[in-house]
Amino acid sequence: MELFNNLLMGLSTALELNNLMFCLIGVVIGTAIGVLPGIGPIPTVALLLPFTFGLSPASAMIMLAGIFYGAQYGGSTTAILVNVPGETSSVVTCIDGHEMAKQGKAGTALAIAAIASFFAGTVATIVIALLSVPLSMLALKFTAVEYFSLLVLGLIAAVVLAHGSVAKSLAMVLLGLLLGLVGIDVSSGVARMTFGIPALSDGLDFVPIAMGLFGLGEIIANLERPAERRVVSQSIRSLIPSGKDLRAAFPAMVRGTTLGSVLGVLPGGGAALPPFSSYALEKKLARDPSRFGKGAIEGVAGPEAANNAGAQTSFIPLLTLGIPANALMALMIGALMMQGIQPGPQIMTEQPKLVWGVIASMWVGNLMLLVINLPLIGLWVSMLKIPYRLLFPAIVLFCCIGTYGIANSLFNVWLMMGCALIGYFFIKVGVEPAPLLLGLVLGPQLEENFRRAMLLADGDFTVFLSRPISAVILGVVAILLLALLSPEILKTRKEALAE
Amino acid sequence: MTRSRIDLQDLLFGLFLVAVAAGTLVATRNLVIGHAADMGPGYMPRVVALALMGFGLFFSGRGLWRMRVGIAPVQLRPLLAILASVGVFALTAERLGLAIASVVAVILASFATREGRLVETVAFAVVLSGAAALLFVKLLGLPIPIWPR
Repeated sequence: MELFNNLLMGLSTALELNNLMFCLIGVVIGTAIGVLPGIGPIPTVALLLPFTFGLSPASAMIMLAGIFYGAQYGGSTTAILVNVPGETSSVVTCIDGHEMAKQGKAGTALAIAAIASFFAGTVATIVIALLSVPLSMLALKFTAVEYFSLLVLGLIAAVVLAHGSVAKSLAMVLLGLLLGLVGIDVSSGVARMTFGIPALSDGLDFVPIAMGLFGLGEIIANLERPAERRVVSQSIRSLIPSGKDLRAAFPAMVRGTTLGSVLGVLPGGGAALPPFSSYALEKKLARDPSRFGKGAIEGVAGPEAANNAGAQTSFIPLLTLGIPANALMALMIGALMMQGIQPGPQIMTEQPKLVWGVIASMWVGNLMLLVINLPLIGLWVSMLKIPYRLLFPAIVLFCCIGTYGIANSLFNVWLMMGCALIGYFFIKVGVEPAPLLLGLVLGPQLEENFRRAMLLADGDFTVFLSRPISAVILGVVAILLLALLSPEILKTRKEALAE
Repeated sequence: MTRSRIDLQDLLFGLFLVAVAAGTLVATRNLVIGHAADMGPGYMPRVVALALMGFGLFFSGRGLWRMRVGIAPVQLRPLLAILASVGVFALTAERLGLAIASVVAVILASFATREGRLVETVAFAVVLSGAAALLFVKLLGLPIPIWPR
């Protein structure tokens, strides 16, 4: 019953007129950037962060969350119609979705994608609501010792489950931690690594870093590739799928949703891993696997449900424990801190309206997305006709203005420029920048909890192993790291991520 | 992609980490380290820097040791155009105002590709600048001058 009351309270927050408006703005922007290849949700959320200052925390989070799951909807449109994934999470949708479009079934594919996403979004909202309470109860027992171990687990798991070389990702986490240490040390008041620059004494803002690494670095690398010609040739006839299509797609939707919900909760989860796993699962379960790649409807329904469910359940660690599952959730943590809310296990009891409002808004947002995406599909398709040569200067300009806006400081614009160069370097040497962002956001918390734990335990490092919860958490970390050393698992991981 | 005798990607990333770690150790040399029970401000930076140093040396060593595909050559045009665009925005935004800074930044950025046509770019830059001023300054209340002071 408590769950019901909580959801009701959340709905009353989510249905406030201004929150409805911000939810709509969020999902519309999300769909737009999802449709446009070359802009991801991370720079977009970073760009909009400065302008959420004036909003209430709930409105800000509702809008930013909308961008994230809205992007998953939009990404599939591009994947189906143009065979270019709008987002990494819709890479698999290209395979069978575009094939369906080629066979003249573009409308069916789009409709199935949208329905699967809506179904997954609805289920994921309930999963979040169900899991949030017990998890946050557990989290209330945490002291600095457990919290430190949990932060370590979050960081390590995010590295292990994300793609790219594990050793390089670990190095990137450390790099992020180091950047997070810049500024005045909270306990001693001594300036660290500020090089005498006053703007650095409050620490590095993560927005210019995120925009430089993810937004601008990506643009520079994109421009090096020869320009691709995008053709939207398929006309969309009927948007209403037949009963036969729905019956074929439904089991895949359910499986995709389940898989996505589970994978999304794991640290390092989010929207990228679930669709790949779901596609592999559908192919394995199918009576005739050869249909896949030739327009199998399950190959659209499963992954689309999975990426949407994953996108949403990746909010669970954030809302209950204050731990980001991926780089985008790290930005969300940043958004909360800018609002003066300390993310952590206490957030659920202290800010119930915010947490439940955001959860309920996801379902409202999914409903909006269904309406925005299906009848208005023509509008989104026409957005695809904007050439990249006009798009990227606009992104560069908005990044400049947005970065300036975060603290009205030109220093941040210079910082973003430096990070653009470094981001380009990272792409050139084949390193993923996402772990750096996680380290940067979690760094200060990690240090604070570590120092507090050490102070309490009088410098005894074994305290992390003698407290039961902490020992279990660190045991999981050890298993994860050991598992990586086993060549067999290494091979499976490589295959799973390469597929 | 060319084949190269060394793994340039690993080597460069490794050297980058070593440089960052060394820089940190130098920059924090005067901070109190303290001990585990009562850490000074210099404790964590040094621990992290040493770990980074280890990773850096590992990658550099591995890069020299194994053979891999090389890095696609760097193209200067997009790199310089984007960086210049951001740099010029930083230099001009507060002095010349958002309107002029935006136009210059957009035009500079579009030099990153050869596809642009000058007339189209300039017209687009002016429109974008107007939209930005309207959206960010008028609507969102960003405290930045629109015109030169």
